[in-house]
Amino acid sequence: MLYRITGQFKTNYRSDYALFPVRQDMFLLAVILFFAWVVFPLMASEFAFQTLLIPVLIYALAALGLNILTGYAGQLSLGTGAFMGVGAYACYKLVTIFPDLNLMLAIGFSGLFSAAIGLAFGLPSLRIKGFYLAIATLAAQFFLVWLFEKWSWLYNYNASGAIQVPTIDMFGITVSGPTASSMVQYYFVLFIVSVITILAINITRGRIGRMWKAVRDMDIAAELVGINLLRAKLIAFGVSSYIVGVSGALFVFLWRGAAEPNLFDIPLSFRILFIAIIGGLGSILGNFLGAILIIALPVILNIIPEAFGVEVDSSLLEHINIMIIGALIIAVLIIEPHGLARIWAVIREKLIIWPFPH
Amino acid sequence: MNQPSIQADIQAGVRADDGIEKGGLLLQVDNISLSFGGVKAISNISFDVKKGEIRAIIGPNGAGKTSMLNVINGFYHPQEGKITFRGKERISMRPHEAVGQGIARTFQNVALFKGMSTLDNIMTGRSELMKKNMFWQMLWHGPALSEEVEHRTRVEDIIDFLEIQHIRRTPVGNLPYGLQKRVELGRALAMEPSLLLLDEPMAGMNLEEKEDMSRFIIEVNQQFGTTIALIEHDMGVVMDLSDRIVVLDYGKKIADGAPEEVRNNQDVIDAYLGVPH
Repeated sequence: MLYRITGQFKTNYRSDYALFPVRQDMFLLAVILFFAWVVFPLMASEFAFQTLLIPVLIYALAALGLNILTGYAGQLSLGTGAFMGVGAYACYKLVTIFPDLNLMLAIGFSGLFSAAIGLAFGLPSLRIKGFYLAIATLAAQFFLVWLFEKWSWLYNYNASGAIQVPTIDMFGITVSGPTASSMVQYYFVLFIVSVITILAINITRGRIGRMWKAVRDMDIAAELVGINLLRAKLIAFGVSSYIVGVSGALFVFLWRGAAEPNLFDIPLSFRILFIAIIGGLGSILGNFLGAILIIALPVILNIIPEAFGVEVDSSLLEHINIMIIGALIIAVLIIEPHGLARIWAVIREKLIIWPFPH
Repeated sequence: MNQPSIQADIQAGVRADDGIEKGGLLLQVDNISLSFGGVKAISNISFDVKKGEIRAIIGPNGAGKTSMLNVINGFYHPQEGKITFRGKERISMRPHEAVGQGIARTFQNVALFKGMSTLDNIMTGRSELMKKNMFWQMLWHGPALSEEVEHRTRVEDIIDFLEIQHIRRTPVGNLPYGLQKRVELGRALAMEPSLLLLDEPMAGMNLEEKEDMSRFIIEVNQQFGTTIALIEHDMGVVMDLSDRIVVLDYGKKIADGAPEEVRNNQDVIDAYLGVPH
């Protein structure tokens, strides 16, 4: 009833290409954006900013980058963590070499470095596929993390071997470093994530998106309808690594504040891959849903007993938490292997015809 | 809809315009030999395809028909011989380059993009014709959208022509086999080819579906002026549809000519029915 689409006619193709052909979707998105831009920042505590809002956005962005490569173009990658590292280290070098550079520009540029390295590691994708390609990206993962550790120029010959985010101002407001306010950082991240998400939606629904999906679904047929396979795959690697690199820069500069090479090791890659798979491969919305499930839910579960005044031993709580999240992941994958985004799509279909069964 | 329809366009000769008169030589295959290791798939075959005709390639299983199509659209590279297309000798090329020259094809086993809708599958056929770069794609509004709408109009014409309006939004993985074959034909037509290769367009269809498909093939040929080379096992269909027939057996050409000639050719009868040794 609420979602009835009867009467919403499209009379030309242009209006059929609206981002939200159904009015209710647009309304729902407006509500979500209102919460994200107005309600959350006003209500959130320091704790909520640092453990829920900012990390969910950054992880969702990283998963979006991976999803373009794995979900849309069908090229499995296990090197996401290392490409985030490339973005973070590139950004660190940029802001230390050019201290006056606007941080937003620095982050934008650092994605380019990650994209370039992504392209280089994407070259084997024309010859190898599936699991074998995953192994090739695993090589990138190990090589890059090794490089972050051994190449001391990258961390300015720091004795600790870690990068420390300097205090950076933008238009007179501190955006990164220990003194930055969480709300400013949240808006900074939210702005970048929103812009990249819109661009990603556009690129995936047009010619390039169809090209990627064609390569994913059947590469031989894709070649025989005139798609240059190497080009399509390399564009996917480039775009994906760019987004992942930007998310890596945000990860360090607007959230962690400091990073050691092992932060970008394989557990991070897996974490982002899980977000993308559970959220739904080949979906933009899924990345956000997946990040909420994997990143935010454990934090929320942790504070629930306290909120109800129940005293639970913290290590026990941690174990219960892991069990609940694990069970949920398995349940989601059994109910709908295509992820949370598909679950939402099914619910939406049902809502459109509700209360009539047909 | 002020856009010119695809028919008008092809009659005006937008892409099909290759400077060749109807009945002129479009494709010529000279002494092609192809082998995989020790297996000779095609040996020393020559034939030609004239503009505007329906050319059938027939032969028993394993005769090398599909290999021949794969050679024509650049998927296999023959060891010997040359291919002349639109009057130019072809050097070894990748399949997507052959598409750029105007060769489209369908497959023996349906090769659609299963995760995409019918509309998107056919739109994919126009990838090569869409030119707006990534920057415009990311902005979407403006040139990229105009281009998308323009090509969508053409694709909708093809959807109307093939009578598949009702499955426009259905993921093709969920469609019955006959409709999948039709969508595949649509995708090939969307490429606005001057030579259309059909690999067993009627395999596994019932009589009604075969009649529909035959009608589409004839209409594509007569209305759009598209030259068609097809492989088919249903002899009734082949004899009715095609202008000229090439018969292959064990990688060799055993007959070439009009349907009546081929039907009465002793070698062809022997190849199909077998001869006592």
